[in-house]
Amino acid sequence: MFRKIHLGALFFGLVLPKMLLAATVYETQAEFLDRAFNQLPPDPGVAWISGDRKSAVYQLLGHDYPALRIRYWCRDTRSAWILDEVGKDLPITVGVVIVDNFIESLRVLTYRENRGGEVATPSFTQQFNGSALDDDYSLDTHIDGITGATLSVRALSRLAALALFLQSDVGCSDGS
Amino acid sequence: MVRKKHRVSVMRRLHRTLGASAAIFILFMALSGLAINHTQDLELDRKHVSQSLLLGWYGIGGPAQIRSYTAGGNWLSFADSRVYFNGNFLSTLANGVGAVFNGDLLVAAGGEELLLVDREGGLIERIHWDQPDSGAIDSIGLLENGMVLVRSAENLWVADTQMLRWQPLEQATVTAGWSELAEEPEEIRQAVIQQYRGAGLSMERLLLDLHSGRIFGPAGILVYDILALIVGFLAISGVILWLRGPGNGKKKYKKF
Repeated sequence: MFRKIHLGALFFGLVLPKMLLAATVYETQAEFLDRAFNQLPPDPGVAWISGDRKSAVYQLLGHDYPALRIRYWCRDTRSAWILDEVGKDLPITVGVVIVDNFIESLRVLTYRENRGGEVATPSFTQQFNGSALDDDYSLDTHIDGITGATLSVRALSRLAALALFLQSDVGCSDGS
Repeated sequence: MVRKKHRVSVMRRLHRTLGASAAIFILFMALSGLAINHTQDLELDRKHVSQSLLLGWYGIGGPAQIRSYTAGGNWLSFADSRVYFNGNFLSTLANGVGAVFNGDLLVAAGGEELLLVDREGGLIERIHWDQPDSGAIDSIGLLENGMVLVRSAENLWVADTQMLRWQPLEQATVTAGWSELAEEPEEIRQAVIQQYRGAGLSMERLLLDLHSGRIFGPAGILVYDILALIVGFLAISGVILWLRGPGNGKKKYKKF
């Protein structure tokens, strides 16, 4: 019994905090924006998640977005979004670049879960390129799953759909 | 012939006794198995155990350190990589260094991120701190005019009123009130410890450990192994008794 408790204490005292803190940063926000806007990112705008937009976001994610406002960067019909969504236990930070209502690129910026990091590989994220929203606010592109990373794959798909929705909802898609 | 009947009778008695004894175990395994199969639907991975005895059994203690700051009459407490608003879990934030209230927003600062929080403790935005040529955030404070500023690698940065952009600031020109550690009230401390401990054990983990017997350590696994063998025996003995027919082993009564 004591051995069990000691092992438990070791796991929760030493291993778990490290798991919680472990995060892989693939690209910083500044690098992402420089890439999205050719080294000259515009000033950020803010999309408040309230009213009808809040309801729509809930429909897309299956839950409320964990913040009341989302920052975005928009120039002409190009916009960049940095969004968070929990895969299994911890948020995955994703950067999405949208041009004319189509995803130009989707990149995992920070991955915090201890399993399922394969979703950050370019071979996976490139599947989102060219995706748009169909009439029922789903991605019009089939995304192949990854064994052992199902929840992370779903999280990225939800974020891709959310970014496309927000892009059209805030009016960036018409160049405003 | 008599010996064979005796064997069947013993098997029947064993089948009945073991079957009745294992009934509760089988029922528990079936129900816990069902729950585990529907972990996501039941959100068992998001629900956490708060029962102190169970958390103690798992060896889950409180955080090594709680660092609290007051901001706008509220308490923001950092425990490892978690931050609590008046004792209630707010979000994850690593390396907390302080919190301020600018009259409109609460701003909690971690080494690499800032959290904007409304007066009710609702998370407005998570801001990633990656200003060029700056390191981790060392401290957060307020200028006399209520503007939020942070110190990072001996440089000062001040935010605009919407907390969207940061501008570097000359050290010499600044009179700032920096967020400082404060001793939280006992009820806040206890609330943080309770929630911190609870976050360490999900219902899914507990059910998995109950289902496998691991919650009771090596002895639990051994008992579950024996029970599993008994269930196997029940299956085999049940088939054998069924094949023998309904009459075998039963007491026969004379008809008068």
